[in-house]
Amino acid sequence: MIVKHAPALLVAIPLVAAYLLPLFARRLKHLVVPAALFALLLCSAGSLSLLFQVMHTGLIIYHFGNWPPPVGIEFVVDRLAVFTVLTLSLVGFVVLVYSIDDLRHELREDVRGWYYTLFLTLLASLYGMAMTNDIFNLFVFIEISAIASCGLISIKEDRACIEAAFKYLLLSALGSGCILLAIALLYMVTGHLNMTYLAQAMLQAAELYPYNLLASLALLVVGLGIKAALFPLHVWLPDAHAAAPSPSSAVLSGLVIKIYAVAMIRLLFQVYPAAFLARTPVAEIILWLSTLAILLGSIFAMVQEDLKRMLAYSSVAQIGYVFLGVALGSENALTGGILHIFNHAVMKALLFLAAGAFIYATGTRKIRDLSGIGQTMPAAGVAFAIGALSMVGIPLTNGFVSKWYLALGALDAGRPFFTAIVLVSSLLNGIYFLPILINAFFRKPSGNAAAPRALPTPMTAAIVVLAAAVIVFGFFPGRMAGIVVLAVHRLLGVWQ
Amino acid sequence: MVPLTEMLYRLHQNSFYFFAIILFIIGFHTMLTHSNLIKKIIGMNIMDTAVFLFFVATGYVRGGRAPVLVPGEERAFINPLPSALILTGIVVAVSVTAYALSLIIKLYQHYGTVDAEEIMRIRRGEEQ
Amino acid sequence: MDRVTDFLPVWIVAFPLVMTFVILAVQQYSEKLRNVLSVAAAAVSFLSVAALYPFIAGGEIIQLQLFSLLPNLSVSFRVDILSFSLALLASFVWLLVTVYSLEYMRHEHGCNRYYPVLIATLAGCIGIFLAGDFFTLFIFFELMSLISYVLVVHEETMEALRAGYKYLIMTIIGGLALFFGIVITFELGGSVSLNGPLLIREPSPLALLAFIAYLIGFGMKAGMFPLHVWLPDAHPVAPSPASALLSGVMLKTGAYGLLRVVFHVFGGKMLLEAGWTTLLAALAIITILLGSAVALTQEDLKRRLAYSSIGQMGYILLGMTVINEKALLGDVFHIFSHAFMKSTLFLAAGAIILKTGKRKIKALSGVGRQMPFTLFAFSLAAISMMGIPPLSGFLSKWALSLGALDAGKPYYVVVLLISSLLNGLYYLPIIISVFFGRAEEEGHGPARINEAPPKMLVPVALLALTTFLFGILPWNVPFDLSQMTAKFLIRGGF
Repeated sequence: MIVKHAPALLVAIPLVAAYLLPLFARRLKHLVVPAALFALLLCSAGSLSLLFQVMHTGLIIYHFGNWPPPVGIEFVVDRLAVFTVLTLSLVGFVVLVYSIDDLRHELREDVRGWYYTLFLTLLASLYGMAMTNDIFNLFVFIEISAIASCGLISIKEDRACIEAAFKYLLLSALGSGCILLAIALLYMVTGHLNMTYLAQAMLQAAELYPYNLLASLALLVVGLGIKAALFPLHVWLPDAHAAAPSPSSAVLSGLVIKIYAVAMIRLLFQVYPAAFLARTPVAEIILWLSTLAILLGSIFAMVQEDLKRMLAYSSVAQIGYVFLGVALGSENALTGGILHIFNHAVMKALLFLAAGAFIYATGTRKIRDLSGIGQTMPAAGVAFAIGALSMVGIPLTNGFVSKWYLALGALDAGRPFFTAIVLVSSLLNGIYFLPILINAFFRKPSGNAAAPRALPTPMTAAIVVLAAAVIVFGFFPGRMAGIVVLAVHRLLGVWQ
Repeated sequence: MVPLTEMLYRLHQNSFYFFAIILFIIGFHTMLTHSNLIKKIIGMNIMDTAVFLFFVATGYVRGGRAPVLVPGEERAFINPLPSALILTGIVVAVSVTAYALSLIIKLYQHYGTVDAEEIMRIRRGEEQ
Repeated sequence: MDRVTDFLPVWIVAFPLVMTFVILAVQQYSEKLRNVLSVAAAAVSFLSVAALYPFIAGGEIIQLQLFSLLPNLSVSFRVDILSFSLALLASFVWLLVTVYSLEYMRHEHGCNRYYPVLIATLAGCIGIFLAGDFFTLFIFFELMSLISYVLVVHEETMEALRAGYKYLIMTIIGGLALFFGIVITFELGGSVSLNGPLLIREPSPLALLAFIAYLIGFGMKAGMFPLHVWLPDAHPVAPSPASALLSGVMLKTGAYGLLRVVFHVFGGKMLLEAGWTTLLAALAIITILLGSAVALTQEDLKRRLAYSSIGQMGYILLGMTVINEKALLGDVFHIFSHAFMKSTLFLAAGAIILKTGKRKIKALSGVGRQMPFTLFAFSLAAISMMGIPPLSGFLSKWALSLGALDAGKPYYVVVLLISSLLNGLYYLPIIISVFFGRAEEEGHGPARINEAPPKMLVPVALLALTTFLFGILPWNVPFDLSQMTAKFLIRGGF
């Protein structure tokens, strides 16, 4: 019975928990963390139950309050949504475990309870974005997530964080404005907000009002592009992801920007008519922007001295992979792009958490001050190495799997040039990650890196779990890829 | 060529959309070009308002009234859905504004100014 | 599938990998146990490979699919005569080098890192040879390349780190090129298995791209011009036993990969018809001449040896472009003989450097009188390098030349002769000066230099003996294996 309501509960549980936590923080301080963990545990269970249901039935449609569309709000849980939800649950839970101890040194005590509120609110909105089938509902979730993510950055209250949060908020508001205007344009010509109905109505509208559709498409690409940090709209990202507390960075880089990409995928493949898109250069534009993102993101990453800034720029490059897959549009490329959402979430969360561990233990975030850290902090060092190698795309790590699909997909699309781009970017990743590893493992430890603080067990555990996930999904990517392939079939089925 | 009168008529018919777009551009421009953070927020609000106007206009029916059903009375109603949605939009915009203003206060405490360029200058000066 | 033999390849690869962790675990308790286990691991690997002989000699091909990663993409093993020959060679040289290391590394730091890495690299290397498809090959290729980085930078000097970085970047470029080739092969052939049939049968721009990608990927490892730049830096800075393995065995993985590409991806016939072999041949000729010529100018003993390796790898690359049985016989046999010769040279050079502390060739005059056995082994291998009968180096060059003549390419023979001449020019002066030159500053040098200790001498002597014996013995295992391999490959290799 309760299983039937899983899609709604997935959003409701973290939301309710989020607003109960401040009350706990008042009176029952020791219960804040367990309560947050419990809420996420429930969510994980919910996502697993969704997985089994979807594997069984293929599609779950959930009507809020039993109001059928077009009047009511509808959640559609297809394989893409389940895939996204699983990613959110896994990474979100691990990051939460990590944050318990990390926040002790990053945040003041009185705001620590609020951190979990923001964290859970953010996750609730991300779950919602992954599952909703209503375009205005999507907008609401986007706004919630924007405010929550800014909150996760500015909660640290040092200057850099406030500035970064402000920049992010402003650009994000710009993006939201564009998205809302696009929604208005779509509503104007179709009279629907439900994506399924919208898609049907648009078949006609594409002939009658092509300019409205074109304008809405452009606005959506810009709006979601800003939020997903698609080059050259990424300017807010390096500041924001570098300044935030490490667990926030992990969630922002690993999850948040990807979910906007998922929203974009949904709109492009399931809402806009394929024939209409084929007349516009949107695929080509995204293709070249993502190529630039991949190359320039990596090049910017090379010149960074701050470890977390480097990782942030690397995220700009990696989101390029996702969009590359989307723009190439062949089955394998799309599989690679979507699979990379998960794979990159795991890798980047791992890298940010490991970086956070270094910062926690040594107090420094400069790359060159971390020499020998791999010898003095073997667990975090090795985990970081695994993440970095996965970024480079060494086989039997999960980074390899998405690259394999992307490379193959570019060939399928008849564009071997982009296969070369994927490979060149791996090389660039190698050029900026390997010196760090060499520095960490083959140079004598010096300064703070010689005598790091001991890492609390939950932090180590979180890092180790993610590192293990990188390896496990590198050895056995079949299951995950299977879900994505089916999701892609559904996307392309509408496309054709 | 469409005759001028025809054009003016069409403009009049679509005046809401027309002004919404103009407002949107004003807001967008203010937001991106002004270095005063408060003005940026004002620009953001103008932009949001423009979008709300646009959205509400899609549901507007000329001569229509608020859809309050009175038995026995047959009248044209405006489409209530956009207005309802925009209520949500306004709430979101207000909260974003409040949050942004609170950030500006924090920035003012740190830097003693609300000018983005001034802040940049201070930071650059500190780095050197 | 249920025969024990079918699982032998997995055992051969997995055993050293497991031993790596065992060694890591025990070394904090006992150094002696660590050393014993390292030698044991290498010895067991050698014996396990050798145990495959009866099956392989009977013309059998052992295949095993371990697990499937994605559809049509799996980790699998396959042993045919070519894999077997190279795996046998690798594990043999490895065993001797490990024994040699015991004495050599006693004076070095970081042994606790050295031994596990040595054994892990063995696993990677043998994994490449026993891989059943290009994907598995790629995995072990990256494993070996990345882990051997640790061997290259072992000294941790600035020079070593710089050379290591160059090595690492080139390795990654090579790995990505290989990846590119594999992806294209998968796209065109639907699989990357070595079990046949040929994966790419039609020449097309994409196929050419794949061929070039493979050339870059494997050529980088094999030290092919112009991708050889990392080699002369990386090989000399490593500890000598590691140099011996890098030059003697690991370079061969590149050659092995290219042999697989030529015979299992494209097929010799198609490559000849499309004329793509010319590309490889041209690069190989440049590699030969460049390697031999630059070796002349090197003052540092190990650098000279490293450049000589580049030249010698050129022979092997050239040999596989002449697609006939004789040339292939020479080709595969040269893989053997070069491995024996170059390991001898590097190990002997290691002994010399350890005992005298000198690396410059000029400073070594007269050493031969103090370390006669070591230098005798060195000279034997060097003479074999020049291709003087009856040593094994001669045999491979002879077969290569015959093959080239058969294929109507006499100028290949000219290239081989010029290179042999150059080899003579840079090896003979060393031999002459160490035996007949006058030792400098004898008076106030350190105490008299002794012969290297027996634990080092035995592997060197054994290797030197092989270069000698496998040139003249009628019972010539490497030669027979090469012959069988050549026949097998010409038949199609499936």
